[in-house]
Amino acid sequence: MTLSYRIAGGDFDSAGLATRKLKEHLARIGVSGPILRRAMIASYEAEMNVVIHAKTGTLWARLDDTTLDLEIADEGPGIPNVELALREGWSTASAQARQMGFGAGMGLPNIRRNSDLFEIETRVGRGTRIRSTIRLSQQEEVTIPRAESAMALAISPGRCRRCMRCLFTCPTGAIRIGSAGPTVREPLCVGCTACIGECESAVFGLPAPRLLPRDLRGAVLVVPRGFLAGLSAGSSIQRILQAVRRLGFAEIRLAEEWEAALLRAARESVGNVPRPFIPPLCSAIVALVESRFPSLIPHLGPWLPPIESAGEEFPLRSVAVLASCPSQYAALGKTSLTDRLHVLSPSSLADSLRPLFAEEPTGADMSLPDVTESTGDPAEVAVSGARHVLKALAAAEAGALADVSLLRLSLCEGGCSASPLFCPDAQLSARFWQAGHGLRETRDAAGVVPRARAYAQRVGMRLDPDMGQAIRKLSAIDTLSKALPGRDCGACGAPGCAAFAEDVVMGAAGAADCPYAAKEVSP
Amino acid sequence: MDIHALARTIRSIEYAGSPRENREITRVHASNTMSELIAHAASDTLLVTALDNCQLIRVAELMDVPGICLVSNAPPSPDFVAKAAEAGTTILVSPLSLEKTMCTLRDALKLADRTST
Repeated sequence: MTLSYRIAGGDFDSAGLATRKLKEHLARIGVSGPILRRAMIASYEAEMNVVIHAKTGTLWARLDDTTLDLEIADEGPGIPNVELALREGWSTASAQARQMGFGAGMGLPNIRRNSDLFEIETRVGRGTRIRSTIRLSQQEEVTIPRAESAMALAISPGRCRRCMRCLFTCPTGAIRIGSAGPTVREPLCVGCTACIGECESAVFGLPAPRLLPRDLRGAVLVVPRGFLAGLSAGSSIQRILQAVRRLGFAEIRLAEEWEAALLRAARESVGNVPRPFIPPLCSAIVALVESRFPSLIPHLGPWLPPIESAGEEFPLRSVAVLASCPSQYAALGKTSLTDRLHVLSPSSLADSLRPLFAEEPTGADMSLPDVTESTGDPAEVAVSGARHVLKALAAAEAGALADVSLLRLSLCEGGCSASPLFCPDAQLSARFWQAGHGLRETRDAAGVVPRARAYAQRVGMRLDPDMGQAIRKLSAIDTLSKALPGRDCGACGAPGCAAFAEDVVMGAAGAADCPYAAKEVSP
Repeated sequence: MDIHALARTIRSIEYAGSPRENREITRVHASNTMSELIAHAASDTLLVTALDNCQLIRVAELMDVPGICLVSNAPPSPDFVAKAAEAGTTILVSPLSLEKTMCTLRDALKLADRTST
């Protein structure tokens, strides 16, 4: 397969962008380590030669099973003496380029040093063509780190009415709808609630409810306030607190306390971090950035998401944390192997509480913290809901939000408190909370917990462990995508023609599944 | 050695970077030419230079370089700092000359290496 990138001569601002795009493509097919390093040096040096000396140029990268072949052709002045040009220290670069640290006469030698085969062809007054071939066979064995699964999504395909809404709602295009109902491409799923909220047939949800621990003496319950608001539905929240006490919990805390702590930490860091700074308020957002927007990884704050921090906050006490989405359920489940931390699903907790708050409250025997929310400064932007979040991340990736200090994102519309697992609507949840929340006590005790694992690009979308195969598949997907009608209609069960092309090439669908192009298309 | 600890050995000022990045530095390389810098750039290397053009940030991005140390107390341009922040590259400004910065950092790394073994 061949990739090509245009290079503009004299444009020092955009110089290196072609090489950066090449890096992204190479990473997708698994090129890494010393081979990637050599490719970057050769490509960057050749690109800079075009920028410094020529009017325009093109970089082609050809890949097959064994080699990466870089070819850079320019419309420039050509090189009168190639022998001299290949000597270290010889340069004809302009004063402007030298002032920037270029023109040391090391470019061509650097390309040659990092190539297994190096060719140069030049004509004075016409241009120069450089070819740098790097053998991929020296690549160390590629081990594909498995994407950390965000899958804690239970699916009941028998309930599906084939309305197809989930197909187009999923922010990562992870859902496919076949004859037996929906399935989810596990590496693509970020564990948000978009499909849960959209489906009126309750096809999607959390796995089977976990039972409450038997002994809750001294235990702390951590819930988002939207859960309590949904339970109280406008009546006194004191009844719910009493029920929580009757279940045996000693204390109830709100997940929003850790959200507030995270925002405080993020605001304190804003001066010396990339803009927009993205505090990891939502576990699913972290997974989304790691999978679809890896260039924004440096923008993520270095802390655990609030609910995970809450799980770490009480080292000596039993804690039960309510998960608001599949992503939280999966993340908390990983750390809940001890008896200390219990992950609850909203349905199991609600089922346990409801019978206990039927009676009228007898008095205030448990208090609830009140979280003061700062409105933040005008340079902060809050975006929620999958559709809006995708647009915001795309804008941030394009550099359009560089004036935004904090970008507060949550995939659930209205944040964790408005999860469709326990809240029919974000606005209603806020109303219920205002109506039912009688007790107020300011507490500022929650903290942030630094991440133990560094953020990393999720490679679940890598096409094949074998690089040669990955190259062939990428090429086949490209060819097939162009052959498809481009209607993105979903009739094939995939959310778009590009996703369908990938499914066909990966053997997960047949070309005949596209009703419009079945005859013409073959993988 | 952690980049922030290394920064303290030369009493440098930190201009950009991410607080999450406690990235380990095992090598430093000093030069004032781009080709030299890219040839020695790596994910465990701190680049030391007097250049502050934005192409340096692009090189750091391509080669996964964790940080760049400018020398002689020369403050970087706002554009340079903004691009570094965007790329998540830590920028240090050393009060020392290129040579002295390099020597001090190398000594600190050697000491850290001896202490850890």
